[in-house]
Amino acid sequence: MKLVTPPRVSPQAFDTAMQAFAGVVGKDWVMASDADRSAYADTYAPGPQEQWPASAAVAPASVEEVQAIVRLANEHKTPLWPVARGKNLGYGTAAPRMAGSVVLDLGRMNKILELDPTLAYCVVEPGVGFFDLYEAIQRDKLPLWLSVPGNAWGSVMGNTLEHGIGYTSYGLHARNVCGVEAVLPDGDVVRTGMGAMKDNPAWHLFPMGYGPTWDLAFTQSNFGVVTKMGLWLQPAPESSLELVFDIPEADDIGWVIDTIAPLKISGLIDQNVFIPSWLGKMVLKGQRKDFWDKPSAIPEWRVAELLKEHKLGYWQVALRLYGEEPVVKAKAEVVKAAMARNLKAAPAENWWRTGDPINAYETTMGVPSAVPLQMSDWIGGRGAHMGFSPVVPATGKAVLDQMKLSRKIIDSFDVDFYASFTIGGRFANNVNMLMFDRDQPQQIDTMKKLFNALIDETAKAGYGEYRTHLGWMDRVMDTFDFNDHAFRRFNEKVKDAIDPNGIIAPGKQGVWPSAYRDQAKEGRA
Amino acid sequence: MMRVLTIAAVALLAACNQQEAAPPPHAAKGGPPPPPPYQMRPEAASGNRLAASDGQRAYEVHCGYCHLTGGMGTNLLTKQRMMAGEPPENGLLTNRTDLTADYVRQVVRMGKNAMPQQTKVDITDAELDAVALYLGKAK
Repeated sequence: MKLVTPPRVSPQAFDTAMQAFAGVVGKDWVMASDADRSAYADTYAPGPQEQWPASAAVAPASVEEVQAIVRLANEHKTPLWPVARGKNLGYGTAAPRMAGSVVLDLGRMNKILELDPTLAYCVVEPGVGFFDLYEAIQRDKLPLWLSVPGNAWGSVMGNTLEHGIGYTSYGLHARNVCGVEAVLPDGDVVRTGMGAMKDNPAWHLFPMGYGPTWDLAFTQSNFGVVTKMGLWLQPAPESSLELVFDIPEADDIGWVIDTIAPLKISGLIDQNVFIPSWLGKMVLKGQRKDFWDKPSAIPEWRVAELLKEHKLGYWQVALRLYGEEPVVKAKAEVVKAAMARNLKAAPAENWWRTGDPINAYETTMGVPSAVPLQMSDWIGGRGAHMGFSPVVPATGKAVLDQMKLSRKIIDSFDVDFYASFTIGGRFANNVNMLMFDRDQPQQIDTMKKLFNALIDETAKAGYGEYRTHLGWMDRVMDTFDFNDHAFRRFNEKVKDAIDPNGIIAPGKQGVWPSAYRDQAKEGRA
Repeated sequence: MMRVLTIAAVALLAACNQQEAAPPPHAAKGGPPPPPPYQMRPEAASGNRLAASDGQRAYEVHCGYCHLTGGMGTNLLTKQRMMAGEPPENGLLTNRTDLTADYVRQVVRMGKNAMPQQTKVDITDAELDAVALYLGKAK
């Protein structure tokens, strides 16, 4: 990828900045060739990767090096785009929102600083992946479980900072954050919560601290570069029971939500309950062309045939309970009785007890894998996906209305409907997976128009997304419109106060520093 | 034909899982079996990542979570190799005899199909050279 320098930085000034960075990290860790730039491009870009070009990447190995780089970036006016491991697939990978930003790749900072089985927490640096943390726990045979996202190739911290979700009792990852260390845009270092006191042993135990609580202000944020994070982990349960319900019809999702959400809110169910539609199972069974060989959406009659052939319900609820066996048994009776009000068939029951093997692909037991990404093979070629992910109240009515709305829009573009709902408590995350081939411009064009329609129409219904791709960060931020976009205006006031040069992640989530606000119209998909 | 292959690949996956379920002879009584290879990579070598390194270890650490047994890359390649009329074992890159070092370097840096390109932080040039020699059995 050819060099695009940051706004108002000449090639010569850019070169000087790179030399200054090399003085901190060594020349091998300043990566500024055409090939290097391509390596940091959005691998699932909806359209040309050149829309979101990094000018270079720099990879520090310590907090002190991060501070030095941030100070030099201010001096040379070369904005940084921090990534933990840069595997934010579907949302931009490692690529920056603003053209010419330098990727600050924190992947070399990959130490697990603490792993405490008694109080069940860890402290990680940005480069620690889910596999790394899982393997460290296995090596020491610690009674701790992770909560993992579908693709566990990425960083524990990065996924948490982006508000990633998993499918265990600890599935709302940003909720597990307790105490972070961040390098601020002026190069200063701050520790949040009890960590604001030197050597306070409760840093990663008490989440409120004293005074304003800033942990979450560093998530989906451009207020600083997080260099350490405390995260609570799930103590390994003594036993676990999976109840698998096949739910026959699309509209059944209404009563399913009204049955499960109250049990989740009351605390009887701890888990983030993931409810994928049938296509979630089908993508693991082959390629789309094996089941429907036309470019048009799979019609309803064919869906009905496939469900019958493969003995699938329209939805599947694989609900998991965790804890001491008598407690799990008692909880299971309550869940089964509640589901039986609407569903005759009894669930399949899969017990696990301490010492039993765990299926290697079991995300509801915190086992990391990248296997769910096999869905990129569903489309064939250079398959890619994007998720349209609004959050709705966890009531049957709200979920049904949302499903009908997004389905109508997706149908009108003649694209396959692949929805899931994850009940996280009083809300459900609705992910509509849109799969496409990166080498089919027509398909990409359709996806982009569809994505815009989904954002706009869903906002009219009153709902917003919880996360989005680079190309839609501004469009989604525009939907948060209370009091003339007071939320964006407040964030930008804070941004300008703490980062007058706009050096950290300009444009992240639609928050632009005044230094680069003139760039906000670029890079929109 | 396609369906047969798909079923075969799924069966292979299931077989992997069953293998996990059978306790290895050396396992302690009552203890769970170890995770499959792709979830028990060795620890990364300490020392200078910019200097020459051990190809096998670099492969297992930096490529292993997809390309050891059970990993996503192995699963997809198994299917692909079988469609090309090869035995399923060829889904594991370490079993391939037709890879050249240059080809390995190129796929790692440029990506291919479902595999995204890898940065120099993911795998340094020195590590990649060692991996390319380790996998590149064709001359």
